Amino acid sequence: MNSVRAAAIACKREGGNDEMERTMAVSLRESVQLVSDPGNLDASVEEVFQTMLGVSCRRDSSPMPHEAESVTAVVGFGGLLSGACVFRSGSIAARKIAAHMTGMEFEEVDDTVKDAIGEICNMLAGSWKGKVPDLAANCGLSVPAVITGRDYKLHVQAPEFQLNHTYCFEDMSFAVTVVCDGLQ
Amino acid sequence: MSEIRTLIVDDSSVMRKIVERALRQAGLDLLVVHEAGSGVEGLDVLKVKQVDLILSDINMPSMDGLEFLRQIRAQNLAPGVPVVMITTESSEEHVKQAIQAGAQGYIRKPFTAEQVKERVLPLLSAA
Repeated sequence: MNSVRAAAIACKREGGNDEMERTMAVSLRESVQLVSDPGNLDASVEEVFQTMLGVSCRRDSSPMPHEAESVTAVVGFGGLLSGACVFRSGSIAARKIAAHMTGMEFEEVDDTVKDAIGEICNMLAGSWKGKVPDLAANCGLSVPAVITGRDYKLHVQAPEFQLNHTYCFEDMSFAVTVVCDGLQ
Repeated sequence: MSEIRTLIVDDSSVMRKIVERALRQAGLDLLVVHEAGSGVEGLDVLKVKQVDLILSDINMPSMDGLEFLRQIRAQNLAPGVPVVMITTESSEEHVKQAIQAGAQGYIRKPFTAEQVKERVLPLLSAA
């Protein structure tokens, strides 16, 4: 995550002293209610899936069904907000998402499927932070990291806030988590 | 419209294919596509290939899209060729940085084929 913070700071330095001073005056802590609005995450998921996959999603109140083999993509936030956007689905849903994006069928979670899931997470992270103007301008994104495997758990220690939503599309489920571990 | 030689720079091979598909849906059937997975690779392509259009992501490892754009201008590679940034970064500040670095267009991910058409075709007509 440090590289993301460094990139965000470097990005601001390029804008000159006036820009730095303006940036330092911005505080997300005063708008934490807006930043943590669950509706922003739902709108981002709907926008990304409708635009890039041509499918509708609906939020599901029940937790994501357990599937031993899963695919997780993580995109880090750095800058005024530090944390991560995490996308998680079972392997069948991941292959289905990649199929919608590419027009190809996948028998296994290969590099193309991982690439597709990483990009979905990247777009979700970008769309989510874009809902709050101060966040869009003062928060950088890392390149996606994708994890595959069986029966692993994600643990985050004492976040500032966390949104953890499950969604359904075409009878399949996935979960999107936004974790904020620091807010300036 | 004659053949359009296009360089698509994105660290995601899936996104490169999606951008290519969107260009074809925009009516650019005679498309010759060169791909690069980073700004460094993109510069290597431009040193040996002539192109009519460049579309580049911003967030990429090894050399990001803005530095790629600055290097194109600094090394006088592809003079006069329109560059469109395609990225998840959507703030006015990011758009301003891209324009200052020499981009002619900006498309935010997620995007539709119609948006690609609206941003790209006028640039090709003007070039």
